[in-house]
Amino acid sequence: MLARTKRGLWRGLTALLVLVLCVSLLLGNILEANAGTIDTALGTISSGFVSEHDANNPLYDKFTPPEEFLNADGTGNSHALIEAAIDLGRREVAEGSVLLKNNGALPLGSGSNVTLFGIRSHSNLLGSSFGVKAFGGYISLEQALSKSKTDFANTIAWTVGSRGAANSPTVDGWSGDEFDFDGAGFNLNQTMIDIYDKLGETYVHYENEPAAEVYNPGEPSISEIEGVNSGFKSSFAQYGDAAIVVIARPSCEQLDYLPGGVADGLDFESGEPFSLTKNERDIIALAKECSDKVIVLVSSSASVEIGSLKDDPDVDAILWIGAPGCYGMLGVADILSGKVSPSGGLFDIFTARNMSAPAMQNMGKMYYANTEGTIVRTGGVLGFNPGAYAIEAEGIYVGYRYYETRYYDCVAGTGGADSPAGAYASSGNWNYDDEVTYGFGFGLSYTTFSYEMQGEPKFEIGANGNGSPSAFATFSVKVTNTGSAAGKTPVQIYGQAPYTPGGVEKSAIQLLNFEKTDVLAPGESQTVDVKVDLQYIASYDESYNNGEGTYIMDPGDYYFAVGNGAHDALNAIMAAQGMDASKMVGEGNKAQAYRKNITEGFLSKTMFSVSKTGYAIKNQLPYSDWNYYQPGEVTYLTRSDWAGTFPKTYDNMTLTNPELIDALNGKIYELQTGDDTSAIKWGVDSGIKLHEMYGVPYDDPKWDQLLDQLTLEEVMYIFSFGGPSIPGADSIGTIETYMTENAGNGIAVNLNASKDPDAPWAIPSSDPNGNWHPEVFANAPMGASTFNPELMYELGQFEGIESLFTGINILWGPGLNTHRHAYNGRNGEYYSEDPVLSGVAAMEFAIGALEYGLVAAPKHFAFNDQESERGGVSPWMTEQRAREVELRAYQIAFEATKYDTADYDAGMRGLMTSFSKIGAIECTSSYGLMTEILANEWGFIGYAVTDIYDDVDLWTAVLNSGTTCFDTRGQGNFYTSTTLENCFLFANQMYSDPLNAHLIDGDANLQLKLKDAVHKNIFAWSESHLMNRYNATTHFGSRMTWWRATYMGLEVGSGVLAAACAVMYVLSSAKKKEEKVS
Amino acid sequence: MKKLKIGGYLCALAAILGLVGTILTIVSGMVSVDNPLANTGMIAAAGFVGAALCVLAIFAPSRWGNFDLVGSASILGAIALYCYTFGAAVGQRVMLVAGLFSFNAANEAGWSVFYVSVAAWACLLAGCLLLVAGAFMKSVKEA
Repeated sequence: MLARTKRGLWRGLTALLVLVLCVSLLLGNILEANAGTIDTALGTISSGFVSEHDANNPLYDKFTPPEEFLNADGTGNSHALIEAAIDLGRREVAEGSVLLKNNGALPLGSGSNVTLFGIRSHSNLLGSSFGVKAFGGYISLEQALSKSKTDFANTIAWTVGSRGAANSPTVDGWSGDEFDFDGAGFNLNQTMIDIYDKLGETYVHYENEPAAEVYNPGEPSISEIEGVNSGFKSSFAQYGDAAIVVIARPSCEQLDYLPGGVADGLDFESGEPFSLTKNERDIIALAKECSDKVIVLVSSSASVEIGSLKDDPDVDAILWIGAPGCYGMLGVADILSGKVSPSGGLFDIFTARNMSAPAMQNMGKMYYANTEGTIVRTGGVLGFNPGAYAIEAEGIYVGYRYYETRYYDCVAGTGGADSPAGAYASSGNWNYDDEVTYGFGFGLSYTTFSYEMQGEPKFEIGANGNGSPSAFATFSVKVTNTGSAAGKTPVQIYGQAPYTPGGVEKSAIQLLNFEKTDVLAPGESQTVDVKVDLQYIASYDESYNNGEGTYIMDPGDYYFAVGNGAHDALNAIMAAQGMDASKMVGEGNKAQAYRKNITEGFLSKTMFSVSKTGYAIKNQLPYSDWNYYQPGEVTYLTRSDWAGTFPKTYDNMTLTNPELIDALNGKIYELQTGDDTSAIKWGVDSGIKLHEMYGVPYDDPKWDQLLDQLTLEEVMYIFSFGGPSIPGADSIGTIETYMTENAGNGIAVNLNASKDPDAPWAIPSSDPNGNWHPEVFANAPMGASTFNPELMYELGQFEGIESLFTGINILWGPGLNTHRHAYNGRNGEYYSEDPVLSGVAAMEFAIGALEYGLVAAPKHFAFNDQESERGGVSPWMTEQRAREVELRAYQIAFEATKYDTADYDAGMRGLMTSFSKIGAIECTSSYGLMTEILANEWGFIGYAVTDIYDDVDLWTAVLNSGTTCFDTRGQGNFYTSTTLENCFLFANQMYSDPLNAHLIDGDANLQLKLKDAVHKNIFAWSESHLMNRYNATTHFGSRMTWWRATYMGLEVGSGVLAAACAVMYVLSSAKKKEEKVS
Repeated sequence: MKKLKIGGYLCALAAILGLVGTILTIVSGMVSVDNPLANTGMIAAAGFVGAALCVLAIFAPSRWGNFDLVGSASILGAIALYCYTFGAAVGQRVMLVAGLFSFNAANEAGWSVFYVSVAAWACLLAGCLLLVAGAFMKSVKEA
């Protein structure tokens, strides 16, 4: 009996331990397959580079952080890095915040007794819940206004969870350094702070919040305030020097605001999410009771409908502060206290009613009427909706281009511009003054400035060495501080091309370039030179040359103007043109404008029909236009007939054209199986390794040798798995490496989780500031609003420095789509509605980042115009619209002409494609977009990755287009755990067999495309600080981590014990047999 | 066939759970064409063989007595095979699950795969635990 019990015990224990062994084996497999992601999350290093480091084999000699961030022994100084981030975050917001109104209430004196109103004054909006999130310890508005030292340990940014996931802190906690700062020095009304603290239990707000399809700003009512403390008004007497109200509207990835999408019972002023609710209006009224100085801070990444505040004489000042990131409230405090005079200009036009934008007629969730049964392609791994679209019938008239052009035509009396069509805020006919609250680029200061064109601009018209056009105009603008305070101001140059009704559509005003003055003392002047690339005033004429299309410069009078925003510049042009001043909104100063009659002899009509690479420009995106497939079904807005063409809503479009349906189904490329590929070399060893390629020009024959060394299989891995973990290739001595991460507001890796732990400056896990997470900067519109190219460059530089400390050499950012309308939930990640402002901001950022070896890969190329159904939505538009608005931002950044030298063709070395299509074709698979425009016209050379898991079912078409790799986040341990054959991402191919190493054995075109794609990828690596880590001795090495030790310990322990128990079980069985026998 | 005791019943239950878990695992790879399971054949075979071993673990003690070597080996084999089925499926769903709880919460097809997968994993894990519990106990009534 006892023996039987023992046998049961040993058997049971054996079974239990076998289960533990099996589970630990599985755990080990899963952990190893996701090691890169786990390392990032846990701050461990499970594998890495092993190299000898001596005089013959140097390491870390190509890119290094500035000495100010290093200790004397060369190790990293985390304190100095964080201190610099605080300073930069502060300066960015101090320069980018936009003063929209000031009746003299601002600035406030030090020692002012101030009351803060609005729950957002207590729970600040700093970033997006998903996307560009503000991480870690932050400086709140209350702290910035009244304290002098950070309290990061008790002020950690939280974020709202998605789909029921718990709200959570962005970091586990902070036990590192605290930092001194000089705040505004105000005394705050603690009574109201305590009330909002209590109300925060009901109205839960976090520093990173999402947009919402049904929006509720969560502002408590006055009666709820009274419910907490009925006598709160008695505190006003002591703290009535000023009342500061904070209004906020968040932004985030994945969600849009929707027309009419507001929570019930809140009495939104216009019934729209960006208008003020009754509680928000009441809180402003309460502020008026508190003080005769009422200041409203607007925290948003899009136009908030604040026309009523502009017109309210009792609202003394309005300051737009964006989503200012972790330290930006210091910049806000600098402005409120007068330490800094505001100098930002609006990134988008602020309208009285956002719904008045023609783009708003076609946004949100629109689906083809006959998707079912017509579109057979699925929504992909991420489960997107395959039948969504948006007809961008507004044409080129996006943002201020619409409002200012229509205003111009109203004054000119042309095109029926003053008809009621599209009037939302106007009573009766369309009226600019009613429709627009604050214009694009507009911003006030504590002083005033005058702008005057200095003589003739300097035109430099010629050709580059390759015969491509080179046409620039440099405008010298004398800026004088005419007020009584020191300050700086943007110098914005705008242009107007001659428009002929019925001809190519042209905006009446468009930004061409900008610079910023130094801080000017009262009475001081500075002459600022602004160099304008004239190709950006050219227009894209799709019909030119019998429909071949290209850029044209119509001969005629071109006007250029400097102004405090687009409206001021346009008024200057209108004054110069002698238009009726009585019909104008605001005054025009013709001294700010310059007219140039451009003749064929001065600059030929087709000068810009050739790109800077010398490539002929012609229509490449015919499939972007719905009418290409189904003619006459869509009418695009034209200024020759505002009333007749103001967009209608194109819902429930029906697909009838077979070519269109095929394109939507991804039928783009036919895989070849019988090509002769013998001339394409693979695996030919020349003894070259990656470390030798640093600084080797892209067209150097040495690259061909390196590429020929790679095997076809290795190249397929590099193309298929584009990061974050990127496969190694034995043939060229590369090692699987975690190279890429987000985001535009900082590198998304903790300091102590560096992917390059061997760097001399790497921050060790023991560092008290080790869990500092570098995503701390403001949302993108703030950077744009600075209108300061040097600051934009400095932001890129700093993120480049961050990348050296975090070991990330490719950044999936910044966001570079243009704002189509205010309701795009992701506007916070993108700079502006204007392509020049966006493009310059991204270019400066990228070139600054590359200085420290960080390849910036802006996203999402292109046309990611909405988050609703973002996966595969079809934005339909004219090619003119595509090129002059969205693509122009990328073109400026990718061409980076400003930084070209005789020896070096500067440019961005990375990009991420869009989830969306362009018309019928996926952006990832569009040859016209990825090869003809991006590579051939703009000369892009670099890493071009898809968005996460996007279009993995179109592997051959994506490769054929010119995209260079897939974002395969989470995939790793290549060639063993993850293979071409077993990776679930590529198992379902629309028009070929599942991915395997022999898929393109018979397709010569794709093999050549593969070589080209990998060439571009590796070239981008070779320009990055990845090259710090390679020398002739570099090889792969696995490292022990606590999680690896844990699962291995479990495996060994359970294995040994299971074996022991099994032996005991067998022995006890044998004993029982013996007992039976005896 | 001798009369079953609790260990036998637990094995029987484990066989059923393993069978259901394996079928659900296969179904989870068919819910959406974009989320197939690689190596489905191997995964399914492991699950079904595991279930068959559970059945063997029920019958073997009738012939060789409780805690017999054949029955014991069957239990251990079934545990290993169930774990393989479970682990191979989980390993392929890690990123799907991570996405559903972060950037890809709107993936309805993904949630369907997730729910079916979780049901499958629960069955297989429960099957393993029952096999472990049963291993401590007698499977048949002995004279």
